[in-house]
Amino acid sequence: MSQKLSRRTTLGLMAGAATIAMPNVVRAQTIEVVAHYSMPPIFKAAMDAVAEAFNKKSDKVKVTYVNPTPTYEDGAQLVLRQATTGGMPDVSFQGLNRLRLFAERSIAADLKPFLAREGDLAKLGYSNPILGLGFHGGVQCGLAFATSNPISYLNVDLLKKVGASAETFPTNWDGVIALAAKISALGDGNSGMFFRWPGDDWMFSALLYGHGGRMLTEDESKVAFDGAEGLAALRLLDRMVKEGKMPNLTGNADLQSFGAGKMGMMFRTTAQVRQVSGMVGSNFELQTTILPVIDPVKGRLPTGGAGAMMTAKDPARQAAAWEFIKFATSAEGTTLMTKNTGYVPCNQLAIDDPMYLSEFYKANPLFQAATKQVHLMIPWYAFPGQNSVRVTQVMVDNLARIVEQKATPDEVLRDMSREVTRLIPRRQG
Amino acid sequence: MSDVALPRGYAAAAPAGERIHRGEALAAWLLTAPAVLAFVLMLLIPTAAVVAIAFTDYELGAPALRFVGLANFAELMEDRGFVTSFRNTAFFVAVTTPVSIIGGLMLALLIESGTRGRTFFRAVFFLPVVSLMVAMATAFQYMFHPTIGPVNAALRGLGIVGPNWLGSSDSVMWTLAIIGVWEQIGFNMVLFLAGLTAIPRDLYAAAEVDGVRSAWSRFWTVTWPLLGPTSLFVLTITMIRSLRVFDIVATLTQGGPNKASEVLLYTMYTEGFTFFRMGYSAAITVVFLGAVVVLMLLQTRVLDRRVHYG
Repeated sequence: MSQKLSRRTTLGLMAGAATIAMPNVVRAQTIEVVAHYSMPPIFKAAMDAVAEAFNKKSDKVKVTYVNPTPTYEDGAQLVLRQATTGGMPDVSFQGLNRLRLFAERSIAADLKPFLAREGDLAKLGYSNPILGLGFHGGVQCGLAFATSNPISYLNVDLLKKVGASAETFPTNWDGVIALAAKISALGDGNSGMFFRWPGDDWMFSALLYGHGGRMLTEDESKVAFDGAEGLAALRLLDRMVKEGKMPNLTGNADLQSFGAGKMGMMFRTTAQVRQVSGMVGSNFELQTTILPVIDPVKGRLPTGGAGAMMTAKDPARQAAAWEFIKFATSAEGTTLMTKNTGYVPCNQLAIDDPMYLSEFYKANPLFQAATKQVHLMIPWYAFPGQNSVRVTQVMVDNLARIVEQKATPDEVLRDMSREVTRLIPRRQG
Repeated sequence: MSDVALPRGYAAAAPAGERIHRGEALAAWLLTAPAVLAFVLMLLIPTAAVVAIAFTDYELGAPALRFVGLANFAELMEDRGFVTSFRNTAFFVAVTTPVSIIGGLMLALLIESGTRGRTFFRAVFFLPVVSLMVAMATAFQYMFHPTIGPVNAALRGLGIVGPNWLGSSDSVMWTLAIIGVWEQIGFNMVLFLAGLTAIPRDLYAAAEVDGVRSAWSRFWTVTWPLLGPTSLFVLTITMIRSLRVFDIVATLTQGGPNKASEVLLYTMYTEGFTFFRMGYSAAITVVFLGAVVVLMLLQTRVLDRRVHYG
């Protein structure tokens, strides 16, 4: 009796499930692409705008988002977890320096074949430098969606107090450090400058790339920052502390100082323009400008931000996911992204053609500093191997020793290169 | 009914008793089943899984894992980050536990003996317990800000150059300990207040008759012994809460500068969820669990025997 009942229940359940699944079978022509992104306070408006425009344009593929994760780190955890437990999205937007980690674990698909099928990439606005932002170790791990670079934030009121101005703002570090010393001599809790070295290796790479240096050698077998460029980068940081009187600040303490009108110059990512200008309000006159130039010929800047990667496995879903990735990184997609976030556009067509964004920049001049540095942007280096993220912490820890004035740049360079060497994969054979 | 059943009951007494016994046992198991199930599913199995993972090289998102024996633990011993983190956690527990217990007791005694504003002070000191640490972090970052913070501004007013509280590797653990005490003292105070109200008034009267005059000897002969059970509980809970320090580090210093404020749970978190080295992170968890168990055993085995339960 009980057996019969349970069998009947099972049958009933199956029938029910089949009915529920039916509509999907019937509407199989429309593929629903599931996408994931992080940092909703920054990206939600942009992501919603991109999805809306995409869904209006495309009738075969529709996109929906899963709940966004609060930070890039949470986003990476989510997808790594789902790679083992199932339920991965088809497209995921991840921090540019983490794309490699997903490709090395075979979670992100190589986008080279998809790009190859598109033919002329220049016509789509995918220039080589832009593609390079998602290209690591021979794999196109993803496509840059929103990019940022480091810029200078200026408190013009404080600059004026020491006889400087935004117009005469120095374009090299010597001038900046001298200016910082003057502002810090004002006393009353004022500090001249803060260069945001803690957190990760991004701002340090700005100093390294600025000298024309690189993290590892071309074949990624050895440390390459242990030469003259690396030493010069560390010495510059040392001078900021010694001569520029840069305080040692943790967490968001630099934003607090700057927002309170007690800091002359702050060097941070352009991604924070919206937050900083909101915080400053009308307390003082805020201006932004390019990061001081180190080597005008060889100097480059690291690129932060997010890239789209393909996590779908099934060919049909991959094709659909590619349609969405292509749209999100198109001139139209990148324009929507820029207007809603202030990040730097990542499609050459949108950068070159004033039709897309010139009005936006006219209305929002603070965002312009970053666009003047677009030609300098190179990838934020992602270290190979299982210690990819750990390496960056080793660097930050060593930089702290300079900022605390507990070690000289020479000592730090030596220790840092030894510790990083231990963490990068050894060449086979 | 029963008088009819009784005579026959003699014959069937043994099996019926057994049946009743078995029925009772079954009922007991059924009644505890939800709790047992929850315990096994939510605590025992995950803990066992963590211990198992600690012996592998599992990485988040990696397709496979390998058994590596004690390699993770061997690496721990040589890892400067882990050793620092262990030392910092021990320091944090050693500072915050006594200060917040003695402070909590003193606050409770003061409030108890006060005549006015008792509810007010109780609420004021309890506020930190109900406030969200992550939200309070911004306030503390500002309070202890080296250049614009009110603490250093006040010190400047006195002609003292304040330290870089959170930014210097020499002072950061002390600053975190201050915040830790702030966080825990109110909770301990409330527990002691509850303990104090449970002490019978007539004992004080009796002590007075016996010639106990000063406030100190009243405390030492009556209050303190009778607070024994409360104190043991407060000690246990404070040590475990101190051992679990995580959020203030994660929000204020991220373990910096140069690992000066790394603590066990934060190291565990970064290894597992930032660097994705789950096996290594699980090994840290095992060490952490070990520390908790040792503390618990010490307290129940050693201290519990010396506590006077009314």
